[in-house]
Amino acid sequence: MAQKPNRSNLKLFNRDTFPISTFLILFFLCLVLMGSDFRYQILKQIRLEIPIIIAPINNLINLPVNLFRESKDTFVTKKLLKEKITRMEEAIYLLSIKVQENQLLKSENNILRNILKIQKNFNISGTTAEIILPEVRNGHSIITINKGSKNNIQAGSAVINNKGLVGQVVNTSDSYSEIRPITSESYAVPAIMENAKQNVILYGNGNGELVIPLFPGSNSIKINDIFVTSGVDTLYPKGIRIGRVTEIMPTKSPKFNHILVKPFSQPTTFSFITVLKIKND
Amino acid sequence: MTSPTKIQQIQAKKLFIILFIISLFLSHLGLVGIEDSSIMPNYFIALIVSFIVAKKAGLNLFKLVTIGLIVDLFTGQLIGQYGLIFMVIYILDFSVNKILVIKYQKQIESLSIFLILFSFVVLWLTSQSYNVFITPKILLLQSIFTFIAYLFFKALINKFISR
Repeated sequence: MAQKPNRSNLKLFNRDTFPISTFLILFFLCLVLMGSDFRYQILKQIRLEIPIIIAPINNLINLPVNLFRESKDTFVTKKLLKEKITRMEEAIYLLSIKVQENQLLKSENNILRNILKIQKNFNISGTTAEIILPEVRNGHSIITINKGSKNNIQAGSAVINNKGLVGQVVNTSDSYSEIRPITSESYAVPAIMENAKQNVILYGNGNGELVIPLFPGSNSIKINDIFVTSGVDTLYPKGIRIGRVTEIMPTKSPKFNHILVKPFSQPTTFSFITVLKIKND
Repeated sequence: MTSPTKIQQIQAKKLFIILFIISLFLSHLGLVGIEDSSIMPNYFIALIVSFIVAKKAGLNLFKLVTIGLIVDLFTGQLIGQYGLIFMVIYILDFSVNKILVIKYQKQIESLSIFLILFSFVVLWLTSQSYNVFITPKILLLQSIFTFIAYLFFKALINKFISR
């Protein structure tokens, strides 16, 4: 016999009392926590002090790649290794020729600098690291690298690769560091046009590009002009390539243009970057 | 709408923990073909909306704030941000259910879309980004992806929690 369903606990409307007092207390608590965190960077400190929060996630999401690499290393043949060595020897030979050319230019440059009495030191030194996963954290682009405070990486250091400026270290733990890419929304870098004297500040727009919101219309600029770091902030060494002008748009004010700059460095996962040392002087 | 039984609540709690861990990993991974990370789905909002709308895991304000604090610890920008968002989702759902009879699937889906959109507005208002206004295109795309994630979670809830 078919049974009638039990509808004793059927609820059409929500008849519970509105938890207004609990809501207000917790709402206020959350606001206080957010305010305190914004002011005292509590979350950053917690992540720095307790690396176990992030480390297991990072280890697990990089596990497939690490396993693949290890198994690839195990099964690599002698023939493949020989081919690789030959290719690398050729690359070393070509690079050694370029080094000679650079040494010549450097010595010439030193002579000219001595004549002009320019004291600026251009030595760039840093730690090389590999970009690993994660590349995104809950909708925000980040660059994670496989080196941290154990390798003397400090928060605030500038990061470059062979193409140009990559970003800035924002968080470090023992084995990992997080880099804010130059194209992220809260990023700004002082720059200068190559072969020009126009100092500007480039801002990330969060869409893979940099912008100059108000560039004086009286200054000449054209598509494909290159921006490099100006070095006025002392954080980024002078002359690191940043990007190329891709679009010049007029603004509401006829006195200014809106400039879009495409960055040279497009760091991909598992490529190499260099974290520059912070100079304390 | 009926109240969940004890067995359903235990199943829902277990499923919630599993889906929370999955969301934690997914939030650290990009999606193939999506280069812009700002349009990535927000798995935590999708998860909380799906469980609040389904009314199975017995979530209350205290539990939601605690879950929000855990999310903030792992992936958040500010401590308390996700607690606030989850509370707002709960209160909105509570208020809507007090005023209206939410009975049909279309009503439930509409309510979910409304909760997702509203939570994005709260997320954007409390964001640390200096970009004050989110573009409608980004909001729309992220909401669509989050709604897809919500449908996925909802399907799992319907599959694994006995009726």
